[in-house]
Amino acid sequence: MRVPLSWLREYVDFDLSADELSDLFSLRSQEVDGLDRLGVLDGEVVVGEVVEFGQHPNADRLNVAKVDLGGQEVQIVAGAPNPYSGARVPIVLPGSTLADGRKLKKAKLRGMESFGMMMSERELGISNEHTGILLLDESYEVGRPVSDYFPVGDTVLELDVNPNRPDLWGMIGVARELAAILKTTFRIPEPRFEVNGEPTSAYILRVEAPDLCPRYDLRRVSHVRPGERAPLEMRRRVHAAGMRPINAIVDATNYVMIETGQPIHAFDAHQVRDGIVVRRAHPGEEMTMLDGQTRQLDEEMLVIADEERGLVVAGVMGAETAEVDDETTDVLVEVATFNGRNIMETSQRLGLRTDASGRFERGLDPEMVAYAMERVTGLLAWNTGGCPAPNTLSHYPEPVAPWQVPLRLARAELLLGMPVEEGEAAERLELLGCKVGREDGCLLADVPTFRRDLGREADLIEEVGRLIGLENVPARLPGVPLPGGLTPNQKKLRSLRRLLADLGLAEAVTYPFGPDRWIEDLGLDDDGRRALKLRNPLSAEAGNLRPALLPGLLDAAARNRSFGARGGALFEVGHVFEPQEQPEGMREYALRYRLSGEIGLDAEMPAELLTGVVEKGKVAGVLAGNVRPPGWNIPAITAGFFEAKGLVERLVPGAVFEPRPRPFLHPGRAAAVLLDGAEAGWAGELHPDVAARFGLEGWPVAAFELDLGSTEPDPLMRFEPFYNVPAVSMDLAVVVNTDVRVGEMLEAVASLGSPILADARVFDVYEGAQVPSGQKSVALNFTFQAAQTLTDAEVKAELDRISEQLREAFGAEVRGT
Amino acid sequence: MTAAERIEELREEALSAVASAGSTSDLESVRVRYLGRSAELTEIKKSIRDLPPEDRKAVGGASNKATKEIEGALHERLESVAATEREERLRAEAVDVTLPGTPYLKGSLHPSLRVIDEVVDFFVGLGYRVAEGPEVETDYYNFTALNIPPGHPARGMQDTFFLDEGLVLRTHTSPVQIRTMLSQEPPVYVVCPGRTYRRDSDPTHTPMFNQIEGLAVDKGLTLGHLKGTLAAMARHVFGEDVKVRLRPSYFQFVEPGVELDVSCFRCGGSDPNCKVCRGAGWIEMLGAGMVDPAVLTEVGYDPEEYTGFAFGMGPDRMAMVRYGIPDLRLFFEGDLRFLHQF
Ligand SMILES: [Zn+2]
Repeated sequence: MRVPLSWLREYVDFDLSADELSDLFSLRSQEVDGLDRLGVLDGEVVVGEVVEFGQHPNADRLNVAKVDLGGQEVQIVAGAPNPYSGARVPIVLPGSTLADGRKLKKAKLRGMESFGMMMSERELGISNEHTGILLLDESYEVGRPVSDYFPVGDTVLELDVNPNRPDLWGMIGVARELAAILKTTFRIPEPRFEVNGEPTSAYILRVEAPDLCPRYDLRRVSHVRPGERAPLEMRRRVHAAGMRPINAIVDATNYVMIETGQPIHAFDAHQVRDGIVVRRAHPGEEMTMLDGQTRQLDEEMLVIADEERGLVVAGVMGAETAEVDDETTDVLVEVATFNGRNIMETSQRLGLRTDASGRFERGLDPEMVAYAMERVTGLLAWNTGGCPAPNTLSHYPEPVAPWQVPLRLARAELLLGMPVEEGEAAERLELLGCKVGREDGCLLADVPTFRRDLGREADLIEEVGRLIGLENVPARLPGVPLPGGLTPNQKKLRSLRRLLADLGLAEAVTYPFGPDRWIEDLGLDDDGRRALKLRNPLSAEAGNLRPALLPGLLDAAARNRSFGARGGALFEVGHVFEPQEQPEGMREYALRYRLSGEIGLDAEMPAELLTGVVEKGKVAGVLAGNVRPPGWNIPAITAGFFEAKGLVERLVPGAVFEPRPRPFLHPGRAAAVLLDGAEAGWAGELHPDVAARFGLEGWPVAAFELDLGSTEPDPLMRFEPFYNVPAVSMDLAVVVNTDVRVGEMLEAVASLGSPILADARVFDVYEGAQVPSGQKSVALNFTFQAAQTLTDAEVKAELDRISEQLREAFGAEVRGT
Repeated sequence: MTAAERIEELREEALSAVASAGSTSDLESVRVRYLGRSAELTEIKKSIRDLPPEDRKAVGGASNKATKEIEGALHERLESVAATEREERLRAEAVDVTLPGTPYLKGSLHPSLRVIDEVVDFFVGLGYRVAEGPEVETDYYNFTALNIPPGHPARGMQDTFFLDEGLVLRTHTSPVQIRTMLSQEPPVYVVCPGRTYRRDSDPTHTPMFNQIEGLAVDKGLTLGHLKGTLAAMARHVFGEDVKVRLRPSYFQFVEPGVELDVSCFRCGGSDPNCKVCRGAGWIEMLGAGMVDPAVLTEVGYDPEEYTGFAFGMGPDRMAMVRYGIPDLRLFFEGDLRFLHQF
């Protein structure tokens, strides 16, 4: 809501600077987005009469005027060509400051002295008109300050009105609010006009959809002077409030809308056949609207029509059919309230939001209709010479009345945490328009109909609290009677993220929605998995909910590559989403769960069956290209299967890796991560084709993705005893067939349960000239230790046992002994 | 030449060889040459028992003396040569200490999550617990239970992502508060951090953003407790000197509703060109209020017996303010040039 302060002063007196007013509104009522300045901020504008007007001698595009300022004649250079000898024009004097920050000085323009400046409408803040100088009529006295006639500058308070306060979308409501803040009074203009026009009852009014239209008032104003402009001050105010002045009729409706918050529609009565019908749209009905677009209406949309055709989509926008224009001489004025939800849905379905629809959406006060009708009738009579009809046709079957809300002072003090005096509370509520009665410790407020947001005690308490001032609420800390803390899972998540960061990965947070490509390029559609779809994605590129964290991280890696990175390591912790098949016949039950509170959390049915969505917490990492750049003394670390596996080993102690292909992984470098036999995730190198499709062509990419539940970044510590005797380290190299898995060899060694084997480590795997083809050499190092110093014989015996085990299980031949 | 004369000659020769040896290996060859197994002096010593008895003592004494003397000289010389050699070796081993150290991998934690962790830690310290919930929410938990029934204009204000009928991507973490209240009796003290979604994309809005909401329901809680709690939180996150103020505001599920401003931690309001507060002196930090009685009733709490406060803040925006990040979109691009700064 744009509130021009000069206009506000018509209703309420205040002695505050614009900045003070702005602060006060912010702290007591609504947020202020800013202050907009118009016209001349500081200085003087006087009425001048052009004595001479002619071409500048040294410039084709400039003119020179001699202007009488009321006894003083000055020379002014001007660009605009429209003034003429005898014209009255506003002259801003040197030393004045304009809203755009310009400070006027006496100047020389192409050799000619110029004293001040002739002003356009825009420069005075009257409109956006800037093609010529504003010409004033004979009623403006030469030499007098223009501000005697209208303000030459204004400051506009830009209020960000909360949606529950449609009353503040009108100047009167803002004036009432300010008066309540300042504890003062405010005034409402009293409409005055003669009733001397043609009767409204020459037209009919029929409301066929009363459920969508609580009130509809219609009044005729005849004998309007066609093509009239609104008075300058009205145009100036309408402009300052953010609307475009059009003509005297439209400006009057807009003016009263800004004043009262109530939208008003004017029809050209001659174009209306028989009268006004308020009805739902007919099946298949179309309307070509004022924006030139033809729209298909549906049967839940409310239409203002005459007996033959639709004229307006109620509360949203009209058709050209019966709009007023410069030929209009007879006007039918509509002031109505509509069902807010219906207007909102109509405007959403049409994709058309207008100033009016935004107001109607919130639900307007039908009691405002009568005043708005009187007010606009008066202004039309005044500004166009129109003659108001003696009667108003009105559909208002169920008048609304004030309702009573009790306010217990003790309750107010409890909620606000500060003392609230009865007299103070009552006065504040009265200033807001309530009638307040008293009944032992309780105020009884009759709430005015324009404050539909005040339905309950808590609403009144808020009003009292904010008007007293929230800075008076003392700050206290509650004594929380519970031990706080993170759950073991929440602690684990912290450790997990910290561990991955410590291991050198950067934590990313990526969008969980992406293109079809995500699913297709990963081959997940072939995997029998579908992705959940958004019904209204921001773009076709963001319509799928991620079934895995991987694609978002791959996109990020590709993005980094495109900006010159040689590689990198990213991780993310987040949710993934998969559809859940729903059993037959439970749709209705599921919808009740989703839409109403009847079926609660403790329903026997798992939530996934009711939502059709499985949502899981995952952690994923992507290593791409050079994970660590080479140093001058060390080689680069490049992404590879074992880099990913090493990370998983840290995150999931005890994980077992089993070869298992996935459509997006390198078929020979893909493993399922098993924990206690159950699949906890996967690790592997990306299939080169998939890497290429994600913009990572030619880069090695390794990744892992794990169920959060399976990770144990900070395993329970338990002391293992050790012996202070020397350990014996022995190497053993064996030759086995290449398809023998080293992991299984280590398991076989472990299965011996050797009491003296403290550690087994693989330190070399070799295939090549030194071993027969089809075979590989695996070099192992064993550490033996026991409570007593081991003898050579004991160690030798144990190593022989290990060799024997490997020979039996894998045909391993001990090498080099 | 007598044996004694020869011994004397060898002694002199050996001592001069020791003196002129320049390295430990030279000294070793001197030792081998004069004291080694086949050295002449050793041979002389071996042959003593072949000498006439009257000569034995003199030759024996002279050769032993010479051996001792040579050994002593060798030892002395060796120490000094070895010390010199060690010094030379260490000098040769000097490195350019200005060369970069071995590059260990540098990871990082996301700035929004750093802020979340910090805020969560603060509330945990006060005795709060952390509640979590799904990101795909039902219409009921996301809206209706929060006093936003179907057709309510507030639904239009929040551009919502829809899935199958009755399912949305949660537009706030408030449904977690509802789920928490439905699952337990008061008192409730929880914070609910998490990702939230709105169908909005421009330089200051991303379709996903983080939120932290908090909820306290207990006997006797007031707006003053809300103010005190949030003031303490603001001091924890932005520094001991910051002040807070409340302004009236509107949120469907609280009444009264307020917004909390934090005084500018950078300039305190003294710099009209301040990049953090843009000269206002205050930074809008969060929305809050006393839990609407309708919400308490909806979850089966008696609003006459219990009151509560709730608040919600944007850790992304807090991170922007704290770290001086100009553009919200940077948070969700996974750009290492961004992430590695935290
Ligand atoms: Zn500042």
